[in-house]
Amino acid sequence: MNDKELRSGETHVLSAKERFPEAVRGVSWSADNQVVIESTPKQAPELVEHLYYERDGWFSVLVGNDERPLNGRYALYYVLSMEGADPCFCTVRVEVPADSCEFYSASSRVPAVIWGEREVQDMFGLKALGITDRRNLVLPDDWPEGLYPLRKDTMDYRHRPEPTTDVENYEFLYETAGHDTTVMPMGPLHITSDEPGHFRLFVEGEDIIDADYRMFYVHRGMEKCAESRMNYDTVPFLAERICGICGFAHSVAYVETIEKAQQIEVPLRAQYIRSIILETERLHSHLLNLGLVCHFSGFDTGFHHMFRVREKSMDLAEMLTGARKTYGLNLIGGVRRDILAEQKLATLKCLDELRTDVKHLVDELLSTPHFLKRTEGIGILDKGVARDYSPVGPTIRGSGFARDARWLHPYDGYKFIERSPITQESCDVKGRTLVRIDEFMDSLSIIGELLENTPGGPILNESWSHEPHRFAVALTEAPRGEDLHWSMIGDNQKCYRWRAKASTYSNWPPLRYMFRGNTISDAAMIVGSIDPCYSCAERVAVIDVKSKKQQVLSRQQLESYCRNRKHSPLEKSTVII
Amino acid sequence: MFKTIKEVLRTGNATVKYPFAPLERPQDVRGKPEHNHVKCMVCSACAVACPPNAIQTPLDMREGTKTWSINYGRCVFCGRCEEVCPSKAIRLGTEFELAVMTKEDMEELCVYHLQACTQCGSHFAPAKQVAYVARILAQGKDTNTAAQKLEYAKVCPKCKQKYDVQRLMEQSKEEGEWLC
Repeated sequence: MNDKELRSGETHVLSAKERFPEAVRGVSWSADNQVVIESTPKQAPELVEHLYYERDGWFSVLVGNDERPLNGRYALYYVLSMEGADPCFCTVRVEVPADSCEFYSASSRVPAVIWGEREVQDMFGLKALGITDRRNLVLPDDWPEGLYPLRKDTMDYRHRPEPTTDVENYEFLYETAGHDTTVMPMGPLHITSDEPGHFRLFVEGEDIIDADYRMFYVHRGMEKCAESRMNYDTVPFLAERICGICGFAHSVAYVETIEKAQQIEVPLRAQYIRSIILETERLHSHLLNLGLVCHFSGFDTGFHHMFRVREKSMDLAEMLTGARKTYGLNLIGGVRRDILAEQKLATLKCLDELRTDVKHLVDELLSTPHFLKRTEGIGILDKGVARDYSPVGPTIRGSGFARDARWLHPYDGYKFIERSPITQESCDVKGRTLVRIDEFMDSLSIIGELLENTPGGPILNESWSHEPHRFAVALTEAPRGEDLHWSMIGDNQKCYRWRAKASTYSNWPPLRYMFRGNTISDAAMIVGSIDPCYSCAERVAVIDVKSKKQQVLSRQQLESYCRNRKHSPLEKSTVII
Repeated sequence: MFKTIKEVLRTGNATVKYPFAPLERPQDVRGKPEHNHVKCMVCSACAVACPPNAIQTPLDMREGTKTWSINYGRCVFCGRCEEVCPSKAIRLGTEFELAVMTKEDMEELCVYHLQACTQCGSHFAPAKQVAYVARILAQGKDTNTAAQKLEYAKVCPKCKQKYDVQRLMEQSKEEGEWLC
């Protein structure tokens, strides 16, 4: 058979069939570049491993779906982004029997799937056989047993079960290899991240030997809410509220799942506008992170200037969309607001100003010896770890992998311009920061290029119909990495299942390895370098395991230690408990 | 160090006078939705489109009213209401300072009467919608039929069905055959 006759992703199917002739039960295409391989449960882990390591696949998301009303079983979709030859999305679909609820875990073969498998255990009550980590991921300690939120027949989305226990029963894991360590908890509200997360640093003196953490303290149940309360066409506005920074990326990703699954054509002009706004979002997000990197390395003047300049990009977004954030621009089939000629001129002018301003600031930052000292060789993301855990965005591009959804799986306006991913080889905080700086400059030129070439015509396609139970994935490259959505419309004007994966979800698992071998004062810096959402948080408690003493540090203490690296708060004798 | 000082001097003062002076905002910014109660016909298109259910239009059949209500505390300022409104009765203004002292003040209401059927007296549609339909019908050239249709517009669907059936029966009796 000639290569040209193969459909997108078919080479992966052929390779899988050759290796595991009995595993492949069926093949279908849910959209042009999305192939779905139906697998036998037992061989699914091997199949995922084959696609991941031997076919240049990267793990994106694991979607669990309660398909009992449709076919009497649960289904799991391992979505892999194939980034070598024949780029496409490969989904391995496995059915899980409704009576035993058991499936074979792929976590020992592909570490990247671990969070996904833990989540389906929590949300659907499925049992992963041979999973490497049995702890809860999403559900809290005091959640009643046997209540699985995303099953179709368990609970109303407004149900708030009574707490069942007051005791924390989550076990934090550590490999300290004989080191005599002290546990340093950060959280439940994290110092630098507004997503409440609880970190435990296992430290020996000042050195971090290992770290473990727990998230999902304020799981908002958006997926359940969308499935039961929203109509599928109002979900873009909910998706936009997943994140205060990359909201637009989420809403584009959501509408594109529907557009791809239902084969809805989006007018060219709308595609360009989407890309322009996505890049505008990247401008302000990268400036935010650059500002915070300044802040955490003790260069507060730089922080203030970055935020002053960032205000310009916020004004730009406000002018183009009508709001500083939550642009509310997307509908299924296109966008709601056009970019007018005078807005185009104002944008180009604003881009010039941003370019000069940021250039000045970056020169200033990179000539600050203190900044370089604080970031070079800190928070190394080893290439091997990166390959195993599939992180995304500047986090992985700082480790030399050219993973950028905009150019690997071009969508919207990115289809029409030529660029390549920006990478750095140094694997450290500095590398990730440099990637952001270069991407900022790149974004400026992308917006300019898109604005110049935007074709005329309609911006919204409203004549389409939908067919229930078709599904597809869509992704956008948000500032922190890919936002990947998966959706299936039901027959009641609602989403049957909507799965949204925010970019940082992929970046948390490898963070543990980035902590190792650094000092406590670098912890905030390292977390900052993956750019999770920031905010001020409460305080930190330090527990000495041997003496069972607990010391509570204020946010200012830890932050100031991170910035000045003098007067370690741990040396003080203010022991509270 | 010198670079920093130079940059500070170059940029000057970045603070704005707000809130002591009004904040300049782009013209088509999406602020508070303003409801025009004269143009509104309580068709509920906005309530259907509203993603967070900030706009609701509950019916009270006993009182014969339909209430248009908006809760600014729920509103996400997406502007879908403005987009779907057939009578351009809602527009997003530029006002954004919506803080109030009590939660109840977040809500605004507008109560509309329903049309009572001229035959059976039951309420069936907002009076303004009926009047709107009647106005369109009155534009017809044939004034006699227009007046007739105007009366007909004030009849509820159930009575209309009955009336239609009766008329058909009479017709078929006259013609001497039954429609099956």
